[in-house]
Amino acid sequence: MKGKFCLKVEFPYLLFILPTFVAYTIFSIYPLFNSFLYAFTNWNGFNVPKFVGIKNFRTTFSDPVMIQALSNTIIYSISVPILVTLFAIPLAVILNSGMKTRNLQRAIFFFPSVPSALIMGYIWSYMLNSSSTGVINQILSFFGVKPILWLATPRLAMLSLIIVSVWGSTGWHACIYLANIQSIPREYYEAATIDGATGFKRFRYITFPMLAPSMTISVMLLLTGSLKVFDLPFSLTSGGPGYATTMVTQIIIARGVTEKLYGQATAMSTVFFFIIFVITALQIIIMKKREENLQ
Amino acid sequence: MTGSWTCGHRKNILKAIGEILMLALCSVIILPFYYLVVSTLKTQQEVALNALALPQKIYLDNFVNAFHNMEFAHAFLNTLLITGCTLVIVVVFGSMSAYAINRRRHKFYKGIMIYFLLGFMVPVQTTMVPLFILMQRLGLINRLYGIIILSSGSSTFAFFLYQGFMSTVPVELDESAHIDGASVFRTYWMIIFPLLKPITVTMAIFHVMGTWNDFLTPFLFLSSRENSTLMLEMYRGVGEFVNDWPTMMSSMIIIIAPLVIFYIFAQRFIIEGLTSGAVKG
Repeated sequence: MKGKFCLKVEFPYLLFILPTFVAYTIFSIYPLFNSFLYAFTNWNGFNVPKFVGIKNFRTTFSDPVMIQALSNTIIYSISVPILVTLFAIPLAVILNSGMKTRNLQRAIFFFPSVPSALIMGYIWSYMLNSSSTGVINQILSFFGVKPILWLATPRLAMLSLIIVSVWGSTGWHACIYLANIQSIPREYYEAATIDGATGFKRFRYITFPMLAPSMTISVMLLLTGSLKVFDLPFSLTSGGPGYATTMVTQIIIARGVTEKLYGQATAMSTVFFFIIFVITALQIIIMKKREENLQ
Repeated sequence: MTGSWTCGHRKNILKAIGEILMLALCSVIILPFYYLVVSTLKTQQEVALNALALPQKIYLDNFVNAFHNMEFAHAFLNTLLITGCTLVIVVVFGSMSAYAINRRRHKFYKGIMIYFLLGFMVPVQTTMVPLFILMQRLGLINRLYGIIILSSGSSTFAFFLYQGFMSTVPVELDESAHIDGASVFRTYWMIIFPLLKPITVTMAIFHVMGTWNDFLTPFLFLSSRENSTLMLEMYRGVGEFVNDWPTMMSSMIIIIAPLVIFYIFAQRFIIEGLTSGAVKG
């Protein structure tokens, strides 16, 4: 069976692969290569595309809006996974501790991931509204805090975006960790108790290391999700104030789809592709190593 | 005896305090939804006065307004159609290719698998603009079936989930079916596919939640009102009712209602399906 490739035997299996192969090649790989190709041209949809070398890449790196979008995306994609992980693991441990209302709690914490990020963004944009009608400011004024311009101050807008994001995904990621915690054999804890380990020590030396597999997945989902974020900043702040919360996806759509600067937009996508490629590859390598070391 | 009783007693009190604290945290998490519901039952003046107070009397005009100003039924059916069709395509394509690649040992299949997995490294931003141009050329812009065809490209995600699960189905089953004279196609659909049910459920939940809530794809590829999805209706509604918050929030409730109802009924199922799939996959 090995080595030889008999077409007659393999034929049905090849047919099984064909649909995915064709669809994926046309709608993912072909556009990816086109993206690399267009990035070196001055195409705008109407003219005959001409090769312009690395001009588009130079424009990308000298475009202050693009640089800002890039740094916004990076700040966002570092903060969200770290904060969500920091909250989700303790939450999972608490949800596992056998409270009477644990099922209700789990359902509530997961709930923010059900409606779309677009709608979550709109709701929060009302809640964080800086006029007196914003409910967050109403609550704060109860404690004597003056109205805060949550979405109108650049730094606070980014902070609000991150907070809303963390609020929205912590519950779901806690559930991923919870599924993992429930799969840790009881004997480990029993042995630790005999050795005199309690409370935090049990968490530090058993639970936390055993969570390595779900941590790899959770961080990967968070990281790739944050890097391509679009809906939430679009509805919460529409990228503002100014460009304070504008993300790379939004800029690429503006340049490529709205302004039809195909060359420039694809040059941006190409640069971003390599950044994401390096970050995700590093993340997976580091976390897989960590899993191996811990087990 | 009494000592152990007080000790247990103290533990119970601590537990109760912990539980109360957690429920308090839950109410903070749920606050935006409470705010959303409460605001829609009040007049705009009432909202401005005290956003979190319960309505003095229930005021349903906002819902009536919102419902009249959006094409709910139409958008709902479009969203349902897109979600349903893409789910079938993705499950059929993805699981079949996972079966072939899992069962054949030749290097060729290994190569195909690596090729499929490469897709995970490609962010949407990279392909968005060329994809838009491609869709324009193929005449698939502003067509519901255009979006459905487009999503078949994401079968590799389903492939990825099925691939991990496929090895749990014993090869002996294939062999005995083969001896009985069943074709590969028949073997797969009659014997193997029914055994993949757990991962199909996980896959379906992932897909339904992702597609139902997707805004970017319809935003890019569907422009006319008749092809509107629920998320596009939301976006339009926000533009229209920018100053009429209660009406806008009512349309939000109407739009999130189908998925929330689905969640309430299948809650345990959804959370377990999503999380166990994530941990295994």
